Amino acid sequence: LSVHLSQQTLADELMPPRLSQSEVELNSNSNSSEDARTKATFQKVVEVFCKRDIRRRGHVEFIYMALKKMPEFGVEKDIAVYNKILDVFPKEIFVARNFIQRMFNHYPRQQECAIELLEQMESYGIMPNNQTKFLLLQIFGIKSHPIRKYQRMMYWFPKFKHVNPYPVPDPLPQDPVDLARHALQRIAANFDARVVVYQLPMTELTEAGKESDYPYIVGIQSPEQRSSLAQHNPDRPVFVEGPFRLWLKKTCVYYYVLRAELLPPELRVGKAIDPERNFYYPMVLDLDLGRDRLDDMEFDTDEVEEGPVFAMCMAGAGDQVTLAKWILGLQETNPILSQTPVVFRLSPGPRELQPITGSDDDGEEEVFENQHWKHEL
Amino acid sequence: MMALVLNRAFIFSRCHQQNGISILLGPCVTGFISRPYSTYRRPGTKPDNTPHWKTINFSFQNAADEMKKRLGLIKKEIVDHCKGPEGRSFVEWMVEQTRVVWEFRNQKDLDGWVVSSDAEIGGKSEAYLTLGKNNQSALLYGTLNTDVPRDGETRRSGYCSMRSKLQWGAFNQKNFYDWSTFNTLHLRVRGDGRPWMVNIYTDPYYSHQKDDLYNYFMYPRGGPYWEEIKIPFSKFFLSSRGRIQDNQYLMWLDKIRTLGFTLGDKADGPFQLEIDFIGLSKDGAYTGEEFPYEQYKRNP
Repeated sequence: LSVHLSQQTLADELMPPRLSQSEVELNSNSNSSEDARTKATFQKVVEVFCKRDIRRRGHVEFIYMALKKMPEFGVEKDIAVYNKILDVFPKEIFVARNFIQRMFNHYPRQQECAIELLEQMESYGIMPNNQTKFLLLQIFGIKSHPIRKYQRMMYWFPKFKHVNPYPVPDPLPQDPVDLARHALQRIAANFDARVVVYQLPMTELTEAGKESDYPYIVGIQSPEQRSSLAQHNPDRPVFVEGPFRLWLKKTCVYYYVLRAELLPPELRVGKAIDPERNFYYPMVLDLDLGRDRLDDMEFDTDEVEEGPVFAMCMAGAGDQVTLAKWILGLQETNPILSQTPVVFRLSPGPRELQPITGSDDDGEEEVFENQHWKHEL
Repeated sequence: MMALVLNRAFIFSRCHQQNGISILLGPCVTGFISRPYSTYRRPGTKPDNTPHWKTINFSFQNAADEMKKRLGLIKKEIVDHCKGPEGRSFVEWMVEQTRVVWEFRNQKDLDGWVVSSDAEIGGKSEAYLTLGKNNQSALLYGTLNTDVPRDGETRRSGYCSMRSKLQWGAFNQKNFYDWSTFNTLHLRVRGDGRPWMVNIYTDPYYSHQKDDLYNYFMYPRGGPYWEEIKIPFSKFFLSSRGRIQDNQYLMWLDKIRTLGFTLGDKADGPFQLEIDFIGLSKDGAYTGEEFPYEQYKRNP
């Protein structure tokens, strides 16, 4: 063994410093075209580094570099890769052996490096597993700073894992229609609401040889919205507004809303019963029984008043033609829409890449009769 | 009544001893007390070594205005104290189940808030606060940008936040919000699906606790509907300089200074949050737990 060791030391002395080699390797791997930036390549580089030298000279620098390069290789959310990097640390050397070493920061550079690795895991939301724990115990021993960091992560991560009452699936659905369905169900906040796919995305080749795109249209409407739309006065217009943003983790999607303006207060009163209709007993009883001042849980503030929302949709294109198709689809379940004027109040959304020809002003309003459009379409 | 005046006088004398100016000179001077409390300095900038006496802005006009304001405040405090707790009658204070602390109906309501973003540390995020449609709500909007400032030291960036201003009473003493009769924070908001963090700053007992914050998360669903979010105060966890602490304590609900919202979800792009009101309630349904985080002495 001693002979072998001495040979190794000799080899160490003869070879150029490790740091530059490993660095070059990582860079060359990321630059060369035949070695794609994949998990396999990344793991291979780590293995090559581990095999090269029994002392793992320059491993702290190597680990920092590897952590920096992880997003490039697309492995920043892979716990196996983090464990692999942690495995680069030589084992049992940095374990504190007595209380003085434990009291002072034993091998501070190495401990900081491991903490940095755990912190990167934390920022990507990766929970350490048992292998991480064993590796850390083997490398730094119990009561070291990285183990403390591990313990804190294991305490807080499960506490906040399910804290979001409206969880977003991870990963998000790739298909835009599925994504739209999920997003609409999320914002509708109603389990009775029904999602309707009015049009699936497709590309059609016309006879003239021109390609025409049909963007997807997915809408949602709840029974309550349908009944409130049925009670809507057809003389008052309804509005298609949008696009509005919705964030699902790091993805931004846009939705459109069909809504009416708030009724003026004189029309809002509705069916108030005339108190003189019956002189013998009251027609309305509003006794508020069993309510004490201590049961008054109302906030002393005026609610924000806005017009009712009748339906929502998400579409592959935010232009008026696409949204008119949505309105046409809505007419099948809401016959009143065929008599109601629909006004499009669209702000130039981020999806509309080509400039609007004609008028460029924001929120241009165009009133049209639905029957007319039906004819055209 | 007498005790109140004595108490005031005691604090009054003490607070000016701290600042090293006499009682009579205090009001004549501005800029001295209102020095920024933050110790953050951008990497690469030189420390501000201007002597204190250069920052003093001495004028008798200031003194007159200041004294007028302070005497008005102390008069209000005495009158409120005679009326009952927080200037309302005792019965009213006892039976109230809900309270609206902040609502946003005019520009004056917005003036009590400070908006900040990582532009302070050299980042590129932007945040603005305006009134919403029909002056019915506050609209906090802007763009989040996680580009790290190229100063060689900063490693992370990308936050936007909004915080209520500190409350000061007569003679520059601290005013606290006393929320100890409530157990739930109640917000009516409309977001765009981004998660926010609610931060509560309580008065530090020792000065080294001045960076302590109590935080919890708020997840607006997004979409066209307003939603009510209730957060029990016991859920708030203690953090200091953005790090969760090992030892968790219940918030001192009678020593609350500010409340704020922070966005930092690492997603580049525009954001918006509309706030109707921020209130408190006694939620009878929430009686179960006193404190959800372990409080036993852990292995040192």
